[in-house]
Amino acid sequence: MTLSRREFVKQSGLALSFAVAGTTKLLSPADAYAEGIAFSVLSDEEVNNINAICSILVPGAKEAGVAHFIDHQLNADPNDSLLVLKYFGFPPPYLDFYRPVVSAIAKLSQSMFDKNLSDLDEKEGRKLVESFRDANPEGWQAPPAPLAYHALRNDAVDVVYGTPEGFEKLGVPYMEHILPPEGWS
Amino acid sequence: MKTNEKVDVVIVGTGAASSVYAALLAEAGKSVVMLEKGTARKLTDLYSSQTWARRLKWATPHVMEESKDSIWYNFNAGHGYGGAAIHHYAVWPRYHPEDMKEYSLYGQALDWPYEYDELRPWYDKVMMDVGMSGDAEKEIWRPAGDPYPLPPVLVSNHGKVLARGFEALGMHTSPIPMAILSQPYKGRQACIWDGWCDAGCPTGALANPLVHYIPRAVKAGASLRPDSHVTRVLMDNKGVRANGVEYYDSEGVKHVQHADLVVLGAFTIENPRILLNSATSKHKNGLGNSSGMVGKYIMSHPAVTAFGMFEEETQNHIGATGGQLLNQDRFPKEKGSFGSQQWEVALALKPNDLLGIAMSRADLFGSDLHSFMKKASRSMTSMVAVVEDQPMIENRIELSSKKDKFGMPLALAKHTWHEETRKLFHDTAKEGLKIVKAAGATQAWHSPPGGQHIMGGTIMGSDPEKSVTNENAQCHDIPNLVLGGGGIFPTSSCVNSTYTIHATAMKSSRYIADHWGSIVS
Repeated sequence: MTLSRREFVKQSGLALSFAVAGTTKLLSPADAYAEGIAFSVLSDEEVNNINAICSILVPGAKEAGVAHFIDHQLNADPNDSLLVLKYFGFPPPYLDFYRPVVSAIAKLSQSMFDKNLSDLDEKEGRKLVESFRDANPEGWQAPPAPLAYHALRNDAVDVVYGTPEGFEKLGVPYMEHILPPEGWS
Repeated sequence: MKTNEKVDVVIVGTGAASSVYAALLAEAGKSVVMLEKGTARKLTDLYSSQTWARRLKWATPHVMEESKDSIWYNFNAGHGYGGAAIHHYAVWPRYHPEDMKEYSLYGQALDWPYEYDELRPWYDKVMMDVGMSGDAEKEIWRPAGDPYPLPPVLVSNHGKVLARGFEALGMHTSPIPMAILSQPYKGRQACIWDGWCDAGCPTGALANPLVHYIPRAVKAGASLRPDSHVTRVLMDNKGVRANGVEYYDSEGVKHVQHADLVVLGAFTIENPRILLNSATSKHKNGLGNSSGMVGKYIMSHPAVTAFGMFEEETQNHIGATGGQLLNQDRFPKEKGSFGSQQWEVALALKPNDLLGIAMSRADLFGSDLHSFMKKASRSMTSMVAVVEDQPMIENRIELSSKKDKFGMPLALAKHTWHEETRKLFHDTAKEGLKIVKAAGATQAWHSPPGGQHIMGGTIMGSDPEKSVTNENAQCHDIPNLVLGGGGIFPTSSCVNSTYTIHATAMKSSRYIADHWGSIVS
């Protein structure tokens, strides 16, 4: 059976309301990325850095809309937040987590390779992640680096594998009971 | 400030204990109001997504931790109608008789103010109310109780593969006892084994509070008020009886709700927080705290998950989140690593979230992670051990110097596992690897420790100088102030707490309904 676009988005399992030209659209983060929906909290530089580091952590994270997902959630009431960070005891507002850790990872890239995050090759990306995954690297000025690793990795996992598309990639049936109920508005 | 019309009973919370109190007292003809700090929620709000499931947990910090071993508040507590029980996995083993008299039998830990035989009828009653699936004969460790009304939950290849490992080591497995319907029951549909329990089950197959006791309470006339942040229990002028609570609504308006009976069922951490914040000139250390025991003996089960990778397909995506099989061979308590331990075997897995496949190897990233995800989705196994935490008086909840937006001090948790508990945990983790390897795994590994099922802090006891409540969960100091939830447990056993929360709440509710006149006058 071929799904209509609306049905597909409703079945994405991660459809979120994005403001578009004065109206609200229900989009998956992947669709928001594809449509180039504007960001409301994150700067262009932060978006680029989130896309780059999350794609090193989980290939496909950029195209799955990880930056749109995080940006959208930073606008939400923390108690309604879908970010895994709420489990880790970091108090809201969560921008106070993402802004410094993304900046710190970008600086680490510069200090280790004299390159922007988005310019790292696979080997460099791996060395970068291994330098902050388990402990704060020297000069780290942000919330704990291992927490940054786990939170960003989980965000990327959520958008790449936590949706029906992600389940399908893994060959696992989604078997939903109820999908997010919002429609186009 | 708004003063609401007085009711017979005000209940703080809408979770497992609160919903039982509400149903039974409303059905006994009492006017009942339930106050929920979180949001209003109905079954149709429970979306099938591990990402959306996080709405069921708090983000706003109510608890600061100065713990060596975290109690994992954010993961365990619940936000909204149904409380923590809305996202619980419905694994419902019973406490064993020895769990309730550990001091008498072993000279260690504490005694409950009654023995298992007094709780048994309430376990049986709750079981028949909500419907449970299991096999009492095969569950060889099970204490005395009526047979399960429903046949066991599904066992997929996941359970069969792991059962081989237990069998190879001479260990036993049985169907896991669950408050999930294996067949239709009292108008509710059976489970379809899709593994979305953690996201909150909207079908009615899993006995969360929105399925059974809250609807019963509402049918009998109880009302629920969401976004109601209770800060204090109020006392009469003599300081002898509770006469209501103070709370703030979502607009920040302060309310007073007077009642003849106050039930605190606001989760293990919130109950002592509210009691300590309710100090008056006649109760300078907080309500119910003449013994100094409010907040003391906080417990949290250490849990470890053992994973295996196999050549064969394990069908790990189907079943219930809480598992398919049970093992309690290591229930007897031994000196040196005192405490009980149980395995919940073959947990249904999803790719993401804390208990998801990706987190089982949190060290992997990039192409290595993707290769792992592909293989693990097909051939991984998972089983979790729950380990008994010992009650220690130094593990406690206090009030923090930090305050919430209503000016109420946050809770401050201080918790460290007993050295014997730590040893038992490490022995358990090793045992898990042995079992998985014996089942034929090509790789075996285990998780770091996590904390499940927060208990204690307002414990029951026979001695008013050493406990907060009596055997009916009434405060020793204030008989019309009642405590609900795992906070009243003097010991933690190693079993999941929600079934016993229901049973103890039902025992207390029935006593209160039967002795209403003497309790509230």
